[in-house]
Amino acid sequence: MLLAGGQGSRLYVLTENMAKPAVPFGGKFRIIDFPLSNCANAGIDTVGVLTQYRPLELNRYIGSGQPWDLDRADGGVHILPPYQSANGASWYKGTANAIFQNIGFVDMYDPDYVLILSGDHIYKMNYDKMLAHHKKTGADCTISVMEVPWEEAPRFGIMSVDENDTITEFEEKPAQPKSNLASMGIYVFTWKKLRSYLIEDESDETSSNDFGKNIIPKMLQNGEKMAAYRFSGYWKDVGTLDSLWDANMDMLATGSGLDLLEKDWPIYGRPSSAPPAYLGKNAHVEHSVVARGCTVEGEAENSVLSERCTVEEGASVQYSLLMPGAVIRHGAQVSYAIIGENAVVEANAHVGQPPEAVKPEDWGITVLGPDAAVAENYVLAAKRMRSADGKETVR
Amino acid sequence: MNGLHGIIFAYAKTPGLRELTEERMPGSVPFGGRYRAIDFMLSNMHNAGITDVGVVLHGNYQSLIDHIGNGKTWDMARRNGGLKLLPPFADERKYRGAVFRGKIDALSGVRSYLREIRQKYVVLSDSDLIINLPLQQVLEAHEASGADITCVCTANGAFVENATYFTLDDAGKVTETRCAPHTASGYRGLEIYLLRRDLLIELVEQCIVQEKYSFRRDVLCAMGAKLDLRGFVWDGYAAQLRSVREYYERSMELLDPAIRAELFCPERPILAKEDDEAASYIAPETHCVDSLIGDGCLIEGEVEGSILFPGVKVGKGSSVKNCILFKNMTVEDSVTLKCVIADKNVRLRSGGTLIGHESYPLVVSKNSVV
Repeated sequence: MLLAGGQGSRLYVLTENMAKPAVPFGGKFRIIDFPLSNCANAGIDTVGVLTQYRPLELNRYIGSGQPWDLDRADGGVHILPPYQSANGASWYKGTANAIFQNIGFVDMYDPDYVLILSGDHIYKMNYDKMLAHHKKTGADCTISVMEVPWEEAPRFGIMSVDENDTITEFEEKPAQPKSNLASMGIYVFTWKKLRSYLIEDESDETSSNDFGKNIIPKMLQNGEKMAAYRFSGYWKDVGTLDSLWDANMDMLATGSGLDLLEKDWPIYGRPSSAPPAYLGKNAHVEHSVVARGCTVEGEAENSVLSERCTVEEGASVQYSLLMPGAVIRHGAQVSYAIIGENAVVEANAHVGQPPEAVKPEDWGITVLGPDAAVAENYVLAAKRMRSADGKETVR
Repeated sequence: MNGLHGIIFAYAKTPGLRELTEERMPGSVPFGGRYRAIDFMLSNMHNAGITDVGVVLHGNYQSLIDHIGNGKTWDMARRNGGLKLLPPFADERKYRGAVFRGKIDALSGVRSYLREIRQKYVVLSDSDLIINLPLQQVLEAHEASGADITCVCTANGAFVENATYFTLDDAGKVTETRCAPHTASGYRGLEIYLLRRDLLIELVEQCIVQEKYSFRRDVLCAMGAKLDLRGFVWDGYAAQLRSVREYYERSMELLDPAIRAELFCPERPILAKEDDEAASYIAPETHCVDSLIGDGCLIEGEVEGSILFPGVKVGKGSSVKNCILFKNMTVEDSVTLKCVIADKNVRLRSGGTLIGHESYPLVVSKNSVV
């Protein structure tokens, strides 16, 4: 069950018109490709995608599920939006409520175990191994965890474990963390157990119907067997503009652990049908990724050029993420920026600034929303955001 | 547009393509950094709204079948109709080594298929023609002219061996058809023919009883006086891949933006089987210019004037100039390449040098290690 209904408000202009999981990533993919491909590679054949916020783009992208081998005669991918029933209609109130409202869907397939995933994480993980761990330990709930630097621990849900990696304590964003094992928001539950907790949680009017805030603490409190499953590869929550930019830059760096070119655990997507990228006679491209359909006549360094981007002669792109169809006209300079889908930076405009150019408190990634435009010679400074309607804000 | 049915002939061998067709039919020769030759005609058909296509197969067609699959790429995996692969019957005769003596021979083998065609018109094409042709315009011209057969031809009159040349009058009517002449004159045929299904069946039946097998000679030339033949002149890009040299030259033309804009016009996209590769990575301190780069490449050396298919690796200190490198081939470190066509999965070991010439590119066969 893939939770893909969040608005992603911290991605600001990028998610004004689409759900966070549909946001492009890494040149050829969208965020949701990662959990869906992990499912495909792990041999999971039935996936429910819970949608709520602006699902149009996401629904179209998932389609029949064919790119992830999820167009199955039995099972396959199912989009699960909130629905109206005899007792009225309600939105998904929290992550647990979203699953509660779809108990009928899960029951239809009558599984022994249910995997709960988020639609906003970039990582490659074999869920099958996690399930094997869940079975081996005989746990009712297994939570995937990873070690994070101690100073970052207060940003996460932190697990304390005993010598068998059985979870003894869970704290959401603790000021004084007792452990540095962070929850990755990936859970395996024994379905019968989860089912009863969901029903119980729903009847509690004070509950916010959330896995991290309600279900997990309640299960711990009741002494259910909770196992931690340690994960050591690359994992990043790309829920903020900074982390989205960071993760794209990580993809460029060897040694970050995020290698999309390796073939052992491929990520599948639904790319467009563009021809190969063309690098022009005077192009200068270094330490960057370039996807199909791009035309690069200018300069690109330390950047991600997604499908069908154009960088005209004399234009320069540095430390930036260009989403599909972005156009950078001649003489324009883009640095430390995220350029949304089909956004246009006209000739000689400047978008974004390197950190050394401004005072530290004034610096931040500059963002153009999908279809936004920056006029000729215009300067869009660091930390600014501009959407398609021309509205400009400072983060 | 449901009135048109496609038939693609993917049986003919092209000896001139040498190593490139050792293990594949001309229709599955890789082209343009991402495609197989047959993608172009299948995409043309898809873009014209054609849903039902038969592909007549013979020879080393495994790689072609693997590529085409169920036709989903071209939206031809349909409950009714869709794409049908038509392999030969086991008991077919052979004529001096050739599988079919001509298109009529090939069509006679699939007569039962022809009778099941739901559409009024059929367009016939070879599998190895690189073109972005608006077939609906051909059909419109065919219906407007009231022709029996419309033959697509090009004004590019360069001499090509074993080609068909047409003389057209001002109304576009074919006044003379010359089959495999020794000199070029008039319009050169692109081996694309549009005609009524009923007429096609009739012509096939008629030829078969008379032991005739060539569509060009026995229909276009021999019956030219009785049939109303019209030419549809296409003045855009069209590449027939008959020799390694021609393959190389026509490939390199794609580095010209004008030709790319025409062949890959977004209104009529060329669709190909998905390669499931991430975007290509170009390392620091490299020089990668004037090249087409497929997805999933890892470029650490110099690349210039070349076409790289998906998943190609170019190692540090290597120099790749005017080359065509097929899918998943690897150039290790400090390799010098010029005018080389390296087939799928080729590995060129460190320190080597391979140099061909524009007029005679060096071809390295599939899976070789050099």
